[in-house]
Amino acid sequence: MFKRTGFIFNADDCINCKACEISCKNENQTPMNIQWRTVKKVAPELYLSLSCNHCDSPECFRVCPERAFIKRKDGIVQIDENLCTGCQLCVSACPYQAPQFNPETRKVSKCQMCYPRQDIGMVPACVEACTTGALNLVDLNTFEDEQTVRNLPGFSDVTVTNPSIIFYPLKPRKRYFLQ
Amino acid sequence: MKDGVYRNTCPRNCFGTCGILSYVKNGRLMKVTGDPKHGYTKGRLCAKGYASTQFVYNTQRLKYPMIQSPRGSGNWKRISWDEAYSIIAGKIIELNQRFGSNLASGYNKFSGNLGFLHYAVEGMFNSFGPHTKPVGNPCALTGKLAVNQAFGHNFSSNPEDMADTNLIVIWGANPAVTNVHQMKFIYEARRSGAKFIVIDPIFTRTAEKADVYIQINPGTDAWLAFGIAKILIEKGIDDEESIREQTIGWDQYKHFIHHQIDLSDVSKRTGVPTEAMEVLAEFYGNLKPAVTWNGLGIQRNDRGSHSISAINSLAAMTGILSNPNSGLYYMHFDIEHFPQLLLNHQGPVHPNITKSRDIDISNYSKNALALTEPPLKFLWVASRNIITQDQNLKSWHQLFNQLELIVTVDLYLTKTAKHSDIVLPAASHFEEEDLNVGYWHYWLSINQKSIPPYYEAKSDLQIARELTKKLNELSPGFSNFPFEKEPIDWIKEELTPEIMRQYSLTSYEDLLEGPHKKIEIAHSMPDSEKFRLLPSKETVTEQLQSENLKKPLTYRLLTPQTLLKIHSQYELVPWLNQEQTEDIIELSSTAAIQHEIDENTKIEIYNQHGFIIGTAKINPTLPNQVVLASQAGNNPINQLITQTDDKGANGSSTFFYDSMVNIRKWREKNV
Repeated sequence: MFKRTGFIFNADDCINCKACEISCKNENQTPMNIQWRTVKKVAPELYLSLSCNHCDSPECFRVCPERAFIKRKDGIVQIDENLCTGCQLCVSACPYQAPQFNPETRKVSKCQMCYPRQDIGMVPACVEACTTGALNLVDLNTFEDEQTVRNLPGFSDVTVTNPSIIFYPLKPRKRYFLQ
Repeated sequence: MKDGVYRNTCPRNCFGTCGILSYVKNGRLMKVTGDPKHGYTKGRLCAKGYASTQFVYNTQRLKYPMIQSPRGSGNWKRISWDEAYSIIAGKIIELNQRFGSNLASGYNKFSGNLGFLHYAVEGMFNSFGPHTKPVGNPCALTGKLAVNQAFGHNFSSNPEDMADTNLIVIWGANPAVTNVHQMKFIYEARRSGAKFIVIDPIFTRTAEKADVYIQINPGTDAWLAFGIAKILIEKGIDDEESIREQTIGWDQYKHFIHHQIDLSDVSKRTGVPTEAMEVLAEFYGNLKPAVTWNGLGIQRNDRGSHSISAINSLAAMTGILSNPNSGLYYMHFDIEHFPQLLLNHQGPVHPNITKSRDIDISNYSKNALALTEPPLKFLWVASRNIITQDQNLKSWHQLFNQLELIVTVDLYLTKTAKHSDIVLPAASHFEEEDLNVGYWHYWLSINQKSIPPYYEAKSDLQIARELTKKLNELSPGFSNFPFEKEPIDWIKEELTPEIMRQYSLTSYEDLLEGPHKKIEIAHSMPDSEKFRLLPSKETVTEQLQSENLKKPLTYRLLTPQTLLKIHSQYELVPWLNQEQTEDIIELSSTAAIQHEIDENTKIEIYNQHGFIIGTAKINPTLPNQVVLASQAGNNPINQLITQTDDKGANGSSTFFYDSMVNIRKWREKNV
């Protein structure tokens, strides 16, 4: 059976420190304004660290006239920039704003799940950088934990593309605000 | 530089002091990662650390020495290092001849780079003989003195041990923003069942993660500590006899708590409901071992010393003195155990001036202005951005007018550099050698020179070596700075046999293989004598009486650190500045209604020192009487901050959070 490598993101542990976001830029040296990963505040106290979700049914793959996208056997969705003509159909089709268009090169690039690192047994740079351990990789074909959820507020509809990411939601906490 | 992986250490004024691995190719820094051999940061960095390539290769970095004339005109002209040294040395020597000493020459340096070799600035000035120098610590002195007062020595427990406790109580610290690597140890404790409590006036990112968050009126931490002590004492303390044994002043303390503390009064002052106090008292009473963390935030007001004493006393009666696994955290000052040879370099003796003139750094400009015979005429600024960070800016401008030469050493053309006559380009930590020790964790690590300097940048040490050489050329024997010593010589001399033993080093080379941790960490057991509970009753009463009376419609201005900067550092790194955070002023919903202010409209906060225009953000969790703003930026908030005159004999931290402001809608006619 093939692997389905995906992200597992613990919203309860994420402190929005943005190390994942900047470590991605450090590793891949992406230009300004090209954000393969971003941490967003989507609701009070809820932060999501999101990149390409390497979907099971990737819209980018489906709409690309140049067939520049491939889905690897381990689940990683890759783009071959050499084939990209900059039509940006993928940019409009992706529910997660993962493909990033660079107006200077007129090419699209996106998170490649650090496959060169994974190919030599390393985790992606974002996962390595996460100091609280909120962001990890799992094989979604085999992983099971009933505490995980497929969606969180602020995340797009998962039924279209079946994104390879699951979440741990926030836990309730006790607060005493000023009287 | 050979291609390969080098060991660096982040030298910022930060709890992390992170170990960095630098990947270098063709003399260029390609990327960084955390050093997995660092047992505190464990192979991870923060967002700022991961932006290192942009910090180093940034078109806004200073490339060459420059001079501007007139000062502040922006009319900068590139000069050679030799020209810069000649002008600076010429001025120092001329002032010496005019006034018969170097007291007219001084420096202002603080926390821009905490590496050992950056004490080259102090060493350089020492090498001239008596001069004018800053003393104190605007950030942490009040808390340091309070911890010292109670225990007889400074200490802060081992941060990695926080993972093995059952209760973590943070008073006024925000590690999720300012000390990100600590969070994993907190989470580890929580996964094993520990309770995690945050007490803070601001509902911070750390507070969001706490099992119990208790919001408190700013500056009232001591009252909350008294309230919890009261509940515990009234319930009866199990091992009261041993507490009496281990402390000085137990009966007096108990008497004070019993007779002068009333829970409904505490609740009124702190804003904390009695129910929350009961919860906290139950945790403190039952969950052992417990750790208490005194955040720097609670000592940024003039009741800070008292707050830390009261919290320490609570920690003392809840296990810190009896349970070796409990902990008390502030920050430690182990760097003082090193020889600090540059800092302590002895200069030549002056025939009739015995020592340098000290200026309290928390009130530098005012104190410097008061100096006569001779007045301060030459100022050297390094590791410091006065114009965005220091208080009493009006007196700074007066001081600048009096100065005949201002030299700033920095990586960037900061606001302070723009007010200088000469700027000298500083090396980044990747371009120099250094040695670093944490002030939160206990790891010692090396900083290798991993890349060649950016254009003509130089380290503080290299500048000290070359400037003192120039001084001696122009005036033989002026300086006794050992300029022939290389960085590595200074590093090796810090590693005395005793330091090597403490950090289990056999040689300097061990540090090239990875950071080393101190073997024996100072503990919470008080020195020979006993733990001193609260200061004398007189101090308590005085402190309680000094509470600021609340004036209607005035707001306390809180200006904590933000995630992607440290003070003004990193503000010119584009990766870290993609969102607009600058000029945002947060106010409570109540204040917004009161002043009829809408979200995202322009507002002005002002006081007798000036005004700041910003964009209003309504924060429904903010206390009504608090306004929140970030530091640095184009319109730095320190314009509204002054330090009140120091009351403590031994100095204090700067009470940044005692600044009060008013709010109004922005109208053009106000400007």
